Amino acid sequence: MCTGRMDPAVMADAFVHGLDGLLVLGCLFGECHYVTGNFNASHKVNMTKEMLAYAGMNPGRLSFRNLSSAEADVFVKHVTDFSKEIRDLGPLGGEADKFPLPKLKEKLEIARISLAGPKLRWVVGKKPVFIETGNKYHEIFTEHEINRTLSGIVIDEMATHSILAALQKKPASVKELAKDLEIPPPETLKYVLGLKRRGFLELESVQDHSPLYKYVEQEA
Amino acid sequence: MEEELRIGVFVCKCGSNIAGALDVEGLAEYASTLPDVVYAPWNLYTCADAGLDEIKKGIKEHNLNRVVVASCSPRTHEPLFRSVCEEAGMNPYLFEMVNIRDQCSWVHQDKSLAESSMAKARDLIRMGAAKAALLKPQEIIVSGVEVKALVIGGGIAGLTAAISLGNRGFPVILLEKEKELGGMLRSLYKLAPMDADASEVINAKIKEAEDHPNIEIYTGATIEKVEGFIGKFDVTFSANGTSKDVRLGVVIIATGAGNLVPEGMYGYDGEKVITQWELEERFKAGKVDANNVVIIQCVGARSPERQYCSRICCAIGIKNAILIKEMNPEAKVHILYRDLMMYGVENEDQLRKAKELGVRFVKYDPKQPPVVEENKVTVFHQLMGTELEIPQDMVVLSTPLVGTEDGVKVGNLFRAGLDKNKFFLEAHVKLRPLDCGTDGIFICGSAHYPKDVRESIMQALGAASRASIPLSQGEVKIEPIVTCLVDKDACRGCGLCVALCPYNALEITTTDEGRKVNVITVACKGCGVCAATCYRHALTINSFTDDQMEAQIHSFMAA
Repeated sequence: MCTGRMDPAVMADAFVHGLDGLLVLGCLFGECHYVTGNFNASHKVNMTKEMLAYAGMNPGRLSFRNLSSAEADVFVKHVTDFSKEIRDLGPLGGEADKFPLPKLKEKLEIARISLAGPKLRWVVGKKPVFIETGNKYHEIFTEHEINRTLSGIVIDEMATHSILAALQKKPASVKELAKDLEIPPPETLKYVLGLKRRGFLELESVQDHSPLYKYVEQEA
Repeated sequence: MEEELRIGVFVCKCGSNIAGALDVEGLAEYASTLPDVVYAPWNLYTCADAGLDEIKKGIKEHNLNRVVVASCSPRTHEPLFRSVCEEAGMNPYLFEMVNIRDQCSWVHQDKSLAESSMAKARDLIRMGAAKAALLKPQEIIVSGVEVKALVIGGGIAGLTAAISLGNRGFPVILLEKEKELGGMLRSLYKLAPMDADASEVINAKIKEAEDHPNIEIYTGATIEKVEGFIGKFDVTFSANGTSKDVRLGVVIIATGAGNLVPEGMYGYDGEKVITQWELEERFKAGKVDANNVVIIQCVGARSPERQYCSRICCAIGIKNAILIKEMNPEAKVHILYRDLMMYGVENEDQLRKAKELGVRFVKYDPKQPPVVEENKVTVFHQLMGTELEIPQDMVVLSTPLVGTEDGVKVGNLFRAGLDKNKFFLEAHVKLRPLDCGTDGIFICGSAHYPKDVRESIMQALGAASRASIPLSQGEVKIEPIVTCLVDKDACRGCGLCVALCPYNALEITTTDEGRKVNVITVACKGCGVCAATCYRHALTINSFTDDQMEAQIHSFMAA
């Protein structure tokens, strides 16, 4: 198995279950035992890191580093350094993170769902292709452009899945959602209408002139 | 119907290797408390006959359907334990290995931290058992082998390997990038320690290869494209302007090494300050005429940029010192060295002979390297503790063999790994020293690391021998540690995975249910990039499914 096997959703799952730090150690770039696996891994770890940081976790808890399998001393150094960094950060949900437990874990679970979903996986999967050979029209993108797209999707996915998770618990109005999820009301409305259009939500009732939305069970 | 899980955990003491740092009996007792574990003994050596018998007995008596061995590295012992499970009637892929030696007892020897080492060992065993519970039976994949070998490099190693394979009756294609066969030996004079004539040795080999009915030789060749896998490598190469496609079963890499040109070191100019390689050429031309020769060892080797020892230069330096002394007994020859690596029987004899002939040995400190000036070399004699001024009319620098860019290119094409010095890496230093990490690719000669002629020949014969195993069996068995399409319905045939597969092991095919991905299992190396990418979670690798990894993580966190 290669670091390229590191599934963003599996990495997020580890933090949802309370992991304090995750160090992914891959081959040196250009010397991957599986040719390009470590490039894929670094793209995926970086995206996961951004998503989890946006969810409130200290990004220092997830790290991708490189070494050759012949460098025992470098391995020891990476592991010793990372252990110290994590010890300095303290346990998950402490002062180093934006939220305490259990709120952080709830946020991380939303991040996990986003990372298991199609949008982020498509873009990060296409990233090496778009950077090297370009899209169908041979337009080659810079890494910066792809990362900017990914950053936008991270924000959208976090909001979308937070709204879906909240509505799966109980129906709510845009105003309530905006307050609970700390998303500006106009943005919340945009996401809610988008989800409604795609059949994820429907109108439940109207209370105090505000429409209440509920989650629609999805077919597998 | 789901069968009831019955996991057996065998904890190995490995003599004192594990038991020296961990309480193995305590670990076995702990293992017996884990979910679904019905039997958890400890063994003195699980890999010894007694231990293996215990596994077999355990499987029968306790009706085990999963076996976990907590011992050493799966790299060395997994195949053995798997085969034992198979002998006892279990599917071998229902076996899981936990490494509590290399990853625990060896690296956590500090007795004052014994409790943390135990906690880590318990974590590892718990995670192993959690994964074992989710293992599924797998079948070995069998694939045919094209009975034809490729040897890359026409030096002494490549020629020897090609002749050896040819003699076994296997057709061989031998590629050499230069216009002529022979490699480095073409420019050498005498070979240490037997004083054999280098051109005689290599010319005899070249003739034998050229006359061999089973060997097809292409000089001036470059490899352009490589596809496929063990048994079916499709190689495109060009030689003398024409391109050729061939299918081969196995590949032997014998691309050799290069000579370091010591630009800017010790006043190297190729005239009065030369390398051993230039000295060899002068010997051949009969143009060595010097009365005061200073040979400096370890030039550009065992340094921060090149930390390795080129290992053959000491023997070369001393051999050439003897040659100078024999030609001109009046000549004064000094060898400035750091350490002398005159390993083996004959080399040590050579050292003695050199001393008898009056060659002077001066040990220098790399922190105070010798200084080469016009007509003299100044060096601090480490053992005498004084500075010496040695007159010189020729300085010879012993430079190391270095990995080559051509080697890197070949390595990339065949996905064979190289180390940071551009030497090829073997699959295992002790247990598979002739195999590359990629199946069906073998390595010999100085492409592996600097070797003398005898060692290159020995390794070439060994590599040819290894390569002839799949050739003579006609088929290879491949570990089913591969990608599989677990959820065919989920697959949309998008091709996201196909673009990222480094082995071309995935393709989109049109089926009755629409476009679906097809896994070419023999080409798959089980890296898992596709499984981590699939947005429909339709792909997984059967050795590391998401479920298994998550079970390990959850079990780790459950401490």
